[in-house]
Amino acid sequence: MALETVEGEASPPPNIAEAVNIQKKPPPESPQNVWTRRMVILAFWAVALLLGMPVWWKTTEVYRASLPLSQMTDWAEGKNCKPVFPLRIAVKAPMLSSQEIETIIRITQHALDDLNDFSAHHLRLVPADPIIHRMSIQEIQEYGNKTSSQRNDSEDISLLLNLKPSFGSSTSSTQLQPYAATLDIYFPNNQVPLSTATSSPLANFIANELQALFSEEQASLSYLMASIPSVAQTSKSKALSSEMATKLSRRSTRSFKYAPTYHLTFSLFTAKARPSAWEIEAALEEYLSPLLASLSIISNFTIDSQVQLYATFSPSIRQPEFDHERQAWTVRKEDLGGFINAAEWPLSPSIGAGPTVNFILYVPDSAQSPLLIAENGGNSWLVPQWGGIQIMNLPFSADGSTRPTVLTNDDLRPAMHVFSNQLMSLLGLPDTPNSLPLKLSTLTRLHTTSLLSSASSTLGALARLTQSLTSIAIPDSVATSVTTTLYRLDAACTDMKEGRFASALENARVAEAEAEKAFFERSMVGQVYFPEEHKVAVYLPLLGPVAVPLVMAALKEIRLLVRGRRVQDG
Amino acid sequence: MFFSFLLCLFFTSLAYGSDYRERLLLRPLPHGALLASFNFQSNASSTSFEQQNFRYFPRSLGQILQHTHTKELHLRFSLGRWDAEAWGARPWNGAREGGTGVELWAWVEAASDKEANARWLTLTNALSGLFCASLNFIDSTRTIRPVMTFEPEGSHPPNALGNLHLLHGNLPHEVVCTENLTPFLKLLPCKGKAGISSLFDGHKLFDASWQTMAIDVRPVCTGDGSECVLEMEQTVDMVLDIERSKRPRDNPIPRPAPIEDIRCDESKFYNSHDSCMPLAKSTEPAWSLQDVFGRQISGACPLSDANDAERVICVNAVPERTFEIRSGAAQRVAEQVAPDMRCTALPSGPEEGLDFDLLFSDQPLTPPVNLTRPRLHAFRSMTGHGQERGGIEAVLRNPLSQPVSLVYMESLPWFMKPYLHTLNVAVSGNGNRDFQALKETYYRPAVDRERGTHIELLLEIPASSTLTLSYDFDKAILRYTEYPPDANRGFDVAPAVIRLLPNAADIASTSADERQKGVYLRTTDLLLPLPTPDFSMPYNVIILTSTVMALGFGSIFNLLVRRFVAADEVEGATLRARIAGLKERFRSKLQSIWARHSGKGEKDQ
Repeated sequence: MALETVEGEASPPPNIAEAVNIQKKPPPESPQNVWTRRMVILAFWAVALLLGMPVWWKTTEVYRASLPLSQMTDWAEGKNCKPVFPLRIAVKAPMLSSQEIETIIRITQHALDDLNDFSAHHLRLVPADPIIHRMSIQEIQEYGNKTSSQRNDSEDISLLLNLKPSFGSSTSSTQLQPYAATLDIYFPNNQVPLSTATSSPLANFIANELQALFSEEQASLSYLMASIPSVAQTSKSKALSSEMATKLSRRSTRSFKYAPTYHLTFSLFTAKARPSAWEIEAALEEYLSPLLASLSIISNFTIDSQVQLYATFSPSIRQPEFDHERQAWTVRKEDLGGFINAAEWPLSPSIGAGPTVNFILYVPDSAQSPLLIAENGGNSWLVPQWGGIQIMNLPFSADGSTRPTVLTNDDLRPAMHVFSNQLMSLLGLPDTPNSLPLKLSTLTRLHTTSLLSSASSTLGALARLTQSLTSIAIPDSVATSVTTTLYRLDAACTDMKEGRFASALENARVAEAEAEKAFFERSMVGQVYFPEEHKVAVYLPLLGPVAVPLVMAALKEIRLLVRGRRVQDG
Repeated sequence: MFFSFLLCLFFTSLAYGSDYRERLLLRPLPHGALLASFNFQSNASSTSFEQQNFRYFPRSLGQILQHTHTKELHLRFSLGRWDAEAWGARPWNGAREGGTGVELWAWVEAASDKEANARWLTLTNALSGLFCASLNFIDSTRTIRPVMTFEPEGSHPPNALGNLHLLHGNLPHEVVCTENLTPFLKLLPCKGKAGISSLFDGHKLFDASWQTMAIDVRPVCTGDGSECVLEMEQTVDMVLDIERSKRPRDNPIPRPAPIEDIRCDESKFYNSHDSCMPLAKSTEPAWSLQDVFGRQISGACPLSDANDAERVICVNAVPERTFEIRSGAAQRVAEQVAPDMRCTALPSGPEEGLDFDLLFSDQPLTPPVNLTRPRLHAFRSMTGHGQERGGIEAVLRNPLSQPVSLVYMESLPWFMKPYLHTLNVAVSGNGNRDFQALKETYYRPAVDRERGTHIELLLEIPASSTLTLSYDFDKAILRYTEYPPDANRGFDVAPAVIRLLPNAADIASTSADERQKGVYLRTTDLLLPLPTPDFSMPYNVIILTSTVMALGFGSIFNLLVRRFVAADEVEGATLRARIAGLKERFRSKLQSIWARHSGKGEKDQ
């Protein structure tokens, strides 16, 4: 200010008339005043920045627990675990010496390794009873006391090869036990290889048989891993025939996602009032309980049943038409999707965690009986990831009232067989090999792999979410869940490497559940919907009027300061 | 009394035996009203219920009950008011009706109160989904645990009684409508396609003067408790106005009858061609099921028990009131089961699915059926004025010549804060001046936003006298977000529930089952106006506070920072010059525009 005045005085007024008109300047400001003013402005700014901002920051801050983001992304990218499936196959040959067994194992293993083109899945032959040989008597007793599931934890034998010499025939043959994981091999006695041999027809035969036995499993695993982008890049997948690929893709769309509990609901829907009862308790006990008992190693099942009368078709589908050729009523294939009248048929899901699998036995009205599918004359079909439907055509009678009121256990037998097949395919059980335990163990590996991948990708999504949305809160429970997931994933991966598939499934299941829990944490979801604009709308009426004088004063002072400096320099 | 005895005879056969049965009772009431009382009962043996093999019992409800460990359930949807003066005693002695809106009470098995509350919450949420009702709004503020008013109807094992928790909640604001009827119908085995349930039509049902839908689930055991069934009773009671119900569906607007059809009282002096005093009707109106319900019954529900099917539909009217049964070709005649009761069966067997109708013809007025007098009249109203406090006054009148004992229960919302010291019970009538009517009080005060007030009073009213119960309350001020969207309508206060305790004569004359169900009465609900704020207030507050703060800050800051100089020393001259320059430019621009415009005008000329 003072300098400016000096500047003004430097150029004298041109004449007197203008000199009278000249602006009267305020007296020069003392440096003391200037200094005080600057200090005042500085003090205000200091309070705003050093006290106001931190308090505001602290009070509006959201709590974000720290997450192991790099580990989570590593899992999502498949860097931490490469799924491998070492299957141990025990070889038992009571008629052969241990020397001979070892030779067979050595040569067959060789042949197997040559045949295998899917490196992640490999079969390893081990003698059936070396463990027992090496153990002391006390240990053998303890081993005997363990339950089979405990034993599986320590040494998971996927298949038992039972070598049996056959004296009659000259060629080898195999027989797979349908309800045990045992493959019986009958071989001509003269084919036992010598200890120095490097190849033998028996070994090649066994290798080929084993390869054939596990080919579908290898294909399914390879297909599954190819569908996981992170794994597909790192591992070499087996080439699949297009036929196999369609089959596998159909199976994967049809089957339920893995769940620890499934609710099975059996419903009898009748178009009119008869039949109005069924002997479902006995039928379930007889036809379904054995299957569920074997499936229980993978999941638990709850069963309920209901009877619903006067079930009408939904108006959205074409009503059944009479086909004179077949002498039957037909419903067209494209209408099968709308066959379930979702608005009226009470098919609400069961209460409790886990999906509901619906099985519907539909008894058409006697005026519309028999009812068939127009295209193929069948009477049962499957709704992917929902359940199965079976139309039951009761023996034809002109008078509707003579129909039975109760469907007996015998009437239900065919329907129950259809339902159990539908259940197996809805659960994603493979078609081969023809042995239930082997199918189940294949399913265990498939589920483990898909659970691992789903848990890993959920972790990855969570990591991306927390990085992209910086304003959402992350409670401690999320961090805990993530830690548990990582620990369980690690455990599952180790279990898989060591061939303990049952415990791998258990670990993967917990990992998946925890990952989902972390991702769908309720308090995190709520935060997303609180927009920044809202905060601005609340703060602006206060901050606007306060900030304007502060900023203007600061600007003015800075401008003066800069000009003063320039004048001094000049 | 005699009639209730008859009813009881008529319905006791419902209690045990077959797995499914249904009943319809029609009772013409004075002034062209008609009481239709539907009852459906389905049983499930306890073993099949445990195994979840459902046949008559609906699976959706069964699973909810199992999941929440509910042992006994009572759910009510009600609408309208029962006119006890004209219509007499309530059907089922009031045991199958609820207060306006939705009322729910259940016995839940749980080890602790906390667990019981958690299960109750699950139960209300699940039922809310099942019945498309806002039952999930029954939270802790609307839930009470009654002590005297309700007793379990079912037979529970004595060792389990200790773990049973009774919880009661109500939603007086809920509007019962067709969306609640559809799920109700789905629970029936015949689904409204056959049997008496085929009469249900949402349009007629919810057009009734009074209507209540009830669902009652209770365990029923044989005498020694060895064999148990879970019994589910679905009841629909309604009072229809026959004239109103007969309006055609396509032309529902009521219109005056043509003048030719009206009989005028010609003795009136003003009677002329355009003014008329209508005479009271001397004939009973003609009606049929088709007229009143809009539909006929489409045959019997084939599930109902054969030896029970003979009395599916009963008409409770004097024998002089005749009606004709139309079903198929065969001529049917109703069977006279009691002096005032005629019953008939629905077409079944080979005739299954045939339509069935009852035709009541136009006939001279018959004496009304002898209605049971109600044992108690109850009215409740709000007193006081202003937005700060108010009062409640309930008038209970005992018309009988013997004293009556009763339990009076109120469940008030938390924002209505009664003063218990103002509770005043007065009995009018001669010789009752010193009568102590209030025997026992149970009171649980409200906690703001956590629970409501719960009052239960044990009262005794002497013969033919009136008891007046009154108390004052404060109206709380709610938070901004606690108001419903229609805040100015007021808040509904649940009806008071009154239970009449049996006296010695009742115990002798009623069946055990009826005694277990009890005799109930509910008042109407009340509308409580609360002070309602202006809802733009928070924004105004934010703006005003901010402005005041900014003003204060601005003036202090300017005082500290600005430099004060004499007026003629202000450097504003430059500013003034700038403004003058701007003005000059603006004026010259205006002038140029003006010049161009006028020039154009000259050219045009």
